[in-house]
Amino acid sequence: MKQLLYYLLPLCLLSCQPSEKANGQITEYLRWVGDSKFDPALDRRDFNTCFGDKVAQYFNFSQGLQYEGEKKAIWDTFQAQYRPVESTESGWLRIRFIVNCQGETGRFRLTGMNTQYQETSFDPKISDQLLSICKSLNGWQLQPDTQNPRDYYQYLIFKIEAGDIKEILP
Amino acid sequence: MKQPLLFLFLLISTFALHSQPNCEAFKSQGNTLAYEACKKNESAKKHYQFSKAFQKIIDEAIAIDPSFDYAYKEKSVAYLKSGDFFTWKQLMDKAVEINPIENLGYRGWCRYQFFRDYQGAIADIELLDSLIDYEIGFSANGDYHLNIAKALCYKALGQKDKAIHILTTQLSEKDYYPGIYDQLHLGVLYLETGNYTLAVETLNAQMEFNPLGEVAYYLGLAYKAQGKNTAYQQAINQAKALYTQDKKMFDPYTHPYDKVYLSEIEAEWEEAQK
Repeated sequence: MKQLLYYLLPLCLLSCQPSEKANGQITEYLRWVGDSKFDPALDRRDFNTCFGDKVAQYFNFSQGLQYEGEKKAIWDTFQAQYRPVESTESGWLRIRFIVNCQGETGRFRLTGMNTQYQETSFDPKISDQLLSICKSLNGWQLQPDTQNPRDYYQYLIFKIEAGDIKEILP
Repeated sequence: MKQPLLFLFLLISTFALHSQPNCEAFKSQGNTLAYEACKKNESAKKHYQFSKAFQKIIDEAIAIDPSFDYAYKEKSVAYLKSGDFFTWKQLMDKAVEINPIENLGYRGWCRYQFFRDYQGAIADIELLDSLIDYEIGFSANGDYHLNIAKALCYKALGQKDKAIHILTTQLSEKDYYPGIYDQLHLGVLYLETGNYTLAVETLNAQMEFNPLGEVAYYLGLAYKAQGKNTAYQQAINQAKALYTQDKKMFDPYTHPYDKVYLSEIEAEWEEAQK
């Protein structure tokens, strides 16, 4: 029974989430595409949004990515802290998260894709490092401004070539 | 005057290319299913493209006519903007499969802009070029002719001479009016390949047309390479001033190619004071 649960639990973690698959097969939508609901198995309980589920997208404010020291500071942080992994894995790894109205981050979600645009999981030595560094970033700016801050979704896409970071988007 | 008007025409044509199709055209062609799918698709416009309501209406349009490619493209946008590359690609592949001529340019541009998938972008743009005998058009945001985007992809893959060739060919096309960053990219390529005289000439042309902190920064580097210290210092001073006045390269979704950040300009400014 215990073994059965071992196999079924990961399946449930995937299938119990509202489905957002393409090709006209989408049967259930979230409020907005890409919404990340609180998941006690993944998320910090002390991270809160200021406006409930009314979380905007980073580009809604027409200011692009807003980080202290601009995107160069993010690139420099990863260059300083990421240790390239000996690997043949290449593709894109996206980490999406919420920046709340106080500039705090939470609800990190990770997705990987290989160079053929097929969903893939990267070696945890790659993905865990990226996630850990991403969680440590603390220069996210309030958007649209400090007087009227909103909660917003931000993402970082890492273009990975043979275990190393080649580019960071957006 | 003729050139700006032509540029405006091409730009409007580009937006028309990426805008909602004319449903009445399907009707007049007797394509009832496409007409109904198109009308259904139109009714989604009142909803935010990320919303459940928008996505459901687009699904209904696809259910009416699964060969209505525009609906797949419309549906894909929210996934693209949320960074869901996997779902976006599936939807755009479907749109391209149904109607490659209408969708290859857009897919290729997005592969470049959002994912820096240089090989993929080149493949799409070149395939589109091989399928038509007319102008391939501009990027979805109107900032780039697709040939210029292709040149940047070749540059990113290390083929700088090829990138220069594509850029200069496009810029010398009869009736082509340069995009907002075209000469900046060409000037940077000249700078990186050691053609400092051409770099200065091209970047100065860009300064006349669209003065930005990045242009002045690269111009400063070209002067520095030529040993023209006074011009170098002036250009870097100007770069700092322009950048802090918000005169800089900008894209609301991602960073433009050859973008320079304030910390880099300031580091060069410190260097220029020595």
